[in-house]
Amino acid sequence: MINAYLGVDVGSVSTNIIAMSPEGELLSNKYMRTNGQPLVCVKEGIKLLKEEIPNINILGVGTTGSGRQLAGILLGADVIKNEITAHATATIHYYPDVSTIFEIGGQDSKIIFIKNKCVVDFAMNTVCAAGTGSFLDHQAERLKVPIEEFGELSLTADEAARIAGRCTVFAESDMIAKQQFGFSKAEIIKGLCEALVRNYINNLGRGHELKPPFVFQGGVAANIGIVKAFEKEVGQPVIVPKHHGVMGAIGISLLAKKEIEKSGKPTNFRGFELTDKEFSPRTFMCDGCANNCEVIEVEYDGKISARWGDKCGKWTNALTSATSKTNTKNNKDKELVGV
Amino acid sequence: MKITYPHMGNQIFYKKLVEAFGHEAIEPPTPTQRTIDLGVKYSPEFACFPYKILMGTYIEGLENGADTIVTSGGSGPCRAGLYYEIHKKTLENLGYNPEIIVFDDFGRSPQTFIDNFKKIKGKTSWCKAFRIIHQTYILAQSADNIQKRMEILRAYEVEKGSFNKAFNEIMEDFDKNGTSISRIKECEKRGMEKLNNIKVEMPAKKDRIKVGIVGEIYVVMENSVNMNIAEVLNLLGCEVSRSLYISDWIDHSVTPKIFKKKSGQYLLDNCKQYLDIQIGGHECHNMGNIIDYKQQGYDGIVHLMPFACLPELVTQTLIPRISADYDIPILSLSLDEQTGIANNQTRIEAFVDLLKKNKGE
Repeated sequence: MINAYLGVDVGSVSTNIIAMSPEGELLSNKYMRTNGQPLVCVKEGIKLLKEEIPNINILGVGTTGSGRQLAGILLGADVIKNEITAHATATIHYYPDVSTIFEIGGQDSKIIFIKNKCVVDFAMNTVCAAGTGSFLDHQAERLKVPIEEFGELSLTADEAARIAGRCTVFAESDMIAKQQFGFSKAEIIKGLCEALVRNYINNLGRGHELKPPFVFQGGVAANIGIVKAFEKEVGQPVIVPKHHGVMGAIGISLLAKKEIEKSGKPTNFRGFELTDKEFSPRTFMCDGCANNCEVIEVEYDGKISARWGDKCGKWTNALTSATSKTNTKNNKDKELVGV
Repeated sequence: MKITYPHMGNQIFYKKLVEAFGHEAIEPPTPTQRTIDLGVKYSPEFACFPYKILMGTYIEGLENGADTIVTSGGSGPCRAGLYYEIHKKTLENLGYNPEIIVFDDFGRSPQTFIDNFKKIKGKTSWCKAFRIIHQTYILAQSADNIQKRMEILRAYEVEKGSFNKAFNEIMEDFDKNGTSISRIKECEKRGMEKLNNIKVEMPAKKDRIKVGIVGEIYVVMENSVNMNIAEVLNLLGCEVSRSLYISDWIDHSVTPKIFKKKSGQYLLDNCKQYLDIQIGGHECHNMGNIIDYKQQGYDGIVHLMPFACLPELVTQTLIPRISADYDIPILSLSLDEQTGIANNQTRIEAFVDLLKKNKGE
């Protein structure tokens, strides 16, 4: 038997599943595209994991990312936590003296400030996509440069074209203008990397002192062009962790381990047979008032196991009060889910 | 007159006040998606969120038969102080012709204030009018006391929904039985007992997490537009206090400045080191409140602002400094017509994690 804690990070663009030994060794690491179907993706990943390590024994499960609630119910997670806490936990685990974490994912970006191994402040990008992976994806597509080569190409340019980074609309029209002026692809891409970083620091770092050591993670950290642009902007080396793409999943597996060790209870994990069970979320419009809330209801193995999305709590409460007498622990989870 | 008014926080005060002067209160419905849709449709795109909600609320009130709208203006360059003129124009274009009575700062034009008041007062004698005002003020205070207590205890609720249910019952009691000052006090006492008898699991005093909510007045007070932030924080196990309740607002507006505590002047004094002029909204009060909360031993602050609210943008810009100077974590959230709260939920959860870590959990 190989003991492991499972960490699942369901993001908008990618879903990451990792298995971590109790000693903190990464046993397996799955990075998959979510493709708009988080549940299918999680099931698929769990199946692959079981095939890779057939004699795996799950001690605890944690889920994070924007799809954490649904994934948490599907798996029977012991801990469901936001991605800011998860990311910070993983980074502090590997780099205990870290001060500033840059994290850029597919649909959002974050900056996290750490002091004495504690999160002291954080910011998430507020309104737009200008500082995220999706934007780079889109521009790479437009320039017909594979996203994997994007960073390398930017390094070949000596000069960067100045691109407005505040808004993707401005950035794109600037890029077109620069291309018509005769700048090379490499110069434009380099300019784009610098614009993205400038925007990121302006938007998220606002009013904060940026202190080293810096750690840069998230899918976009694979892009060497952005890493170099960060180093130029902060004037310091920027560390990119080996497993930069799955740090959220690693963090949540560590939190699951902590939770299990603290409570001393066995895991809630539903077991690998869950991949064969029927798990169907559905949504319906409540017509109780003019809010017309979209209520999400999840059926697992023929039983309604969770509900949320209603503003007034009518549907959430109906389910909670029915189950609260029998299982207060689950009840607590549902409260977290229900808000 | 059939009077409607903005839906801001606990409604019982407005209703009782209107009814006491012999008018029919057309209670504005709690803002729903429809209110937002109406508001967004008939408002300038760049207007702030509270403006749009009020627009929708007025339309719904008029649909329900109101012929008069009573609202408040502002005391400075914040756009909201002039909004009623645009509201009025828009409503006229839509074919409604309500009378709009706006109460601006008394000091700005005492005569207008008194004239407006006379319209509401009607034939009621001045003596009785003052009694009515005093009594409804006491009502507002009592109802606020109940709400304040509830937003502390609800963090430790054992059976979900028990506090909300009790709160509604207490408000009904106020509505039905709060007919004189002594009866209002009795209602408050009964209400407190009711709240204190609900089962809670309260941790040791040193482990309790207290969060203060500051920000633009409308989004701080109105749950239906602030993602029900107080309850969200309660569910995550935090006690909540808001910087503004209706009775505080009345205190601040009518008490002379020499009474520092009651007039809120001490908050402005707190804020002096960061901003020494008032720029139109509650920015100085908010900064003062952040400092005050810290001094009262609160663990963190949630700052709410309507998207692109000018006064609160100033607060937001100064927050990193206040946070560093006073060593208190502050989360600033910008609200608009978006209904999905997943994004903000993530921020709030992470913020509460941070507060719990600070507590040494």
